[in-house]
Amino acid sequence: MKRILVVDDSRIMRTIVKNTFLGLNIPCEFLEAGNGVEALRLIAENSVDLILLDWNMPELSGIDFLKRVRTLDSYKDLPIIMVTSEAAKYNVIEALKNGATDYIIKPVNEKIFAEKISKFNF
Amino acid sequence: MEQYIQPFIDSCSNVFKEFLGLELSPDRPYFTEKDTYAEWDISAVIGLTGEARGAVVISMKKSLARKITGILTGETHEEMDDIVVDAIGEIVNIIAGNAKKGLEESFRIVISLPTIILGANHSINWPTEKARIIAIPFGVFENDFFNLSVAIESVKGG
Repeated sequence: MKRILVVDDSRIMRTIVKNTFLGLNIPCEFLEAGNGVEALRLIAENSVDLILLDWNMPELSGIDFLKRVRTLDSYKDLPIIMVTSEAAKYNVIEALKNGATDYIIKPVNEKIFAEKISKFNF
Repeated sequence: MEQYIQPFIDSCSNVFKEFLGLELSPDRPYFTEKDTYAEWDISAVIGLTGEARGAVVISMKKSLARKITGILTGETHEEMDDIVVDAIGEIVNIIAGNAKKGLEESFRIVISLPTIILGANHSINWPTEKARIIAIPFGVFENDFFNLSVAIESVKGG
């Protein structure tokens, strides 16, 4: 059973992301965080296999969370996929440069998730 | 600024289609004034900063906001609860974020978190000085309407 951390300040979006992911029929359980600070706490307390990370959030944004996490050796190989409305190329490049494993532009759908997740050994 | 408006119209139409499965009928855009009191019940505002300054606002009646939220949750929403506020805020966030792609040749924009204004006859505090506000009316369902309003001005080169 894989454990996936969904980080998004929108509760409705966390549910949509989870439901879209569940449509792939991959056995998994979810943890949820509403911002980067909560996400840092959750990964310190739990082992996770994948993080789905929004960009714009209060407290600590997704991009700042990403930068912080990638400075820590224990998380340098953890798959982190940005799931964000930020569609400009310069945003995609910034995220990838700072260690995002992949990038999904909202609105999300199963096809895109399936394509991205197929790269991992899930 | 008219050339900067089309990415928002395209983004709004695409987001409603992809996210909600709804086809929109955009009507003719028109200029509006800062102090115009809206006839809407909810507005969700995203501030634009970076190489441009302005805001994008989606405004609608509460009946439409509840209906749209119901599409996302699969439930009926009788009140303007936190879930409705969350849904409308997320929709304007996705519209603004997606519109950045169509504007990336012109300037780099940073979008804010959404701010929600609730209540009849509310007004918007527009963060622009020179830019005029363009309102784009959209028809949806049989007889529902909402406005997407955009004000944007370049601040590149000081």
